[in-house]
Amino acid sequence: MKANLDWGYSNPLDDVAGQVAIVGIGETEYSKASGRSARQIGAEAAERAIADAGLTPSDIDGLTFSGTFGEFGVAEFHAHFGTSHDMWSSPWGGGMAWAATAPYLAAKAIGEGKARHVLNVFPVAWATQRSSMTGGPGEVHAAQSLKQNLEVPFGFFPQPVYFATIMRRHMIEFGTTREQFGAVAIELRRHANHTPGAVFHEKTLELQQYLDAVMLADPLCLFDSCPISDGGAAYVTTSLKRARDLRHDPIVVQGVAEGYSGSGTHWAQQAAFTTTPQVFSAPVAFAMAGVVPADVDVLTCYDPFTVVALMQLEDMGFCGKGEAGALAESGALAFDTGSLPYNTHGGLLSHAYVLGIAHVVECVKQLRGAAGAQVRDCEVAVYGGYTGHMASTLVLTKDR
Amino acid sequence: MTIERSTFPLPDVDDAMTAPFFAAAARDALEIPRCVACARFVWYPEAACPSCGGSLEWRPVSGLATLFSWAVVQRVFLPAFAEQVPYVTALVALVEDPAVRVCTYLIDSETAALVAEMPCEVVFRDLNFPTVEGVSVRVPMFRVTPR
Ligand SMILES: [Zn+2]
Repeated sequence: MKANLDWGYSNPLDDVAGQVAIVGIGETEYSKASGRSARQIGAEAAERAIADAGLTPSDIDGLTFSGTFGEFGVAEFHAHFGTSHDMWSSPWGGGMAWAATAPYLAAKAIGEGKARHVLNVFPVAWATQRSSMTGGPGEVHAAQSLKQNLEVPFGFFPQPVYFATIMRRHMIEFGTTREQFGAVAIELRRHANHTPGAVFHEKTLELQQYLDAVMLADPLCLFDSCPISDGGAAYVTTSLKRARDLRHDPIVVQGVAEGYSGSGTHWAQQAAFTTTPQVFSAPVAFAMAGVVPADVDVLTCYDPFTVVALMQLEDMGFCGKGEAGALAESGALAFDTGSLPYNTHGGLLSHAYVLGIAHVVECVKQLRGAAGAQVRDCEVAVYGGYTGHMASTLVLTKDR
Repeated sequence: MTIERSTFPLPDVDDAMTAPFFAAAARDALEIPRCVACARFVWYPEAACPSCGGSLEWRPVSGLATLFSWAVVQRVFLPAFAEQVPYVTALVALVEDPAVRVCTYLIDSETAALVAEMPCEVVFRDLNFPTVEGVSVRVPMFRVTPR
């Protein structure tokens, strides 16, 4: 199939390869409804990431967070740590697609002398908030007037329905089978079974369970969709030079890119219906990093639904368009026996729905050799983010 | 971000961007905005033509389409849909311009027999929800074209 590339674009970024490194990671408990606020979760993740870096809160003079959700910004940082120093900050960090691009913001701020140690933090308390019907993935979409008038009244809402129609179309165009979507869900569950702290650490999943599962929106079944979770994570970025003086081996930022769909978050109208804007992002990040898909030892991707996992594998160039179902079914995604270990912590589907921040942390753990489902000889790890109309790519390597 | 409008999830027929769509449906007509300068259909509605900046006018279309994709929704995602599941929500591609995908209900059609690109045709129905008492809105739905 010929690629139609006039439906989106790449946002050009400066080359930041080798300038900064991730030196600290912190995670909270990942769970169903915990009763905790996003602010509490964010504070705990921040505390742990700073400690992991061997730094103190007063060393952190830069903060990237999610302005969309706005639950742990500079004021919350200072309130929690009892600090009051000046901080550079940006609301274009946090999780989702921005979990990949926050290190770029950090690299620019550090390069320009605005900050020395930059914390990126992203907490999620949607499982807790859901009981009071505030927050959650659907709400943002229901508030858009075009969706409210032209989609929601027709039962086209929320995300499981959008992606059920995309999944159906992937099946129509490429012959993708339920067994192939199931292969993704099952592999990621196995990875979660190897990852302490994953929400589904204790629960196994077999193909027959997948095939017998309740449909949310046929063809999308329960196991094609990620759960709603509480939890959060954070990471600290600093210059590579400074990183070499800190306690962990630096995990170096080698490539960052972002791509956009021209039709915004109106999936129904996206011209390339079974493609993500990752086609505009991954090649750019790989070029900045000087790597090709075959060099990637661990790939983590934003995987709210199995079809998003398959589409991103294709769009990032790990296989041809329409071939990811067969790739998954071949066992390629397995952390121990596969050629392309994928979402080795279990992903959104089986680790926790914390919107990508744990994917970046998993990349760092894999490069440190400290993951639950550890891949042998991991030198290059990539995170592919995907949020509505935006995709992003982060290439990380060991210090070489 | 909570939806305050009491008629949700019925459409807001007074919303300026989409009001003509529902005004047309009230006359059992399907209308889509088209650029007066370059004659392109523009969907979803926008303030002006994204290709040439021309102004848009709502134009009647035939109501003939092909089935682009669909989902059989079984989970109740909003309380308003509790009595309606399972239902088929679909994207149909208009014959006038298949890039225009209308989001609709597929009704009076055998779900198990649906196939991509099947010819469909518009039918108009009053849409109402048990959670929105006493209000209904006429909307375009589609069915597989009877042979
Ligand atoms: Zn025009």
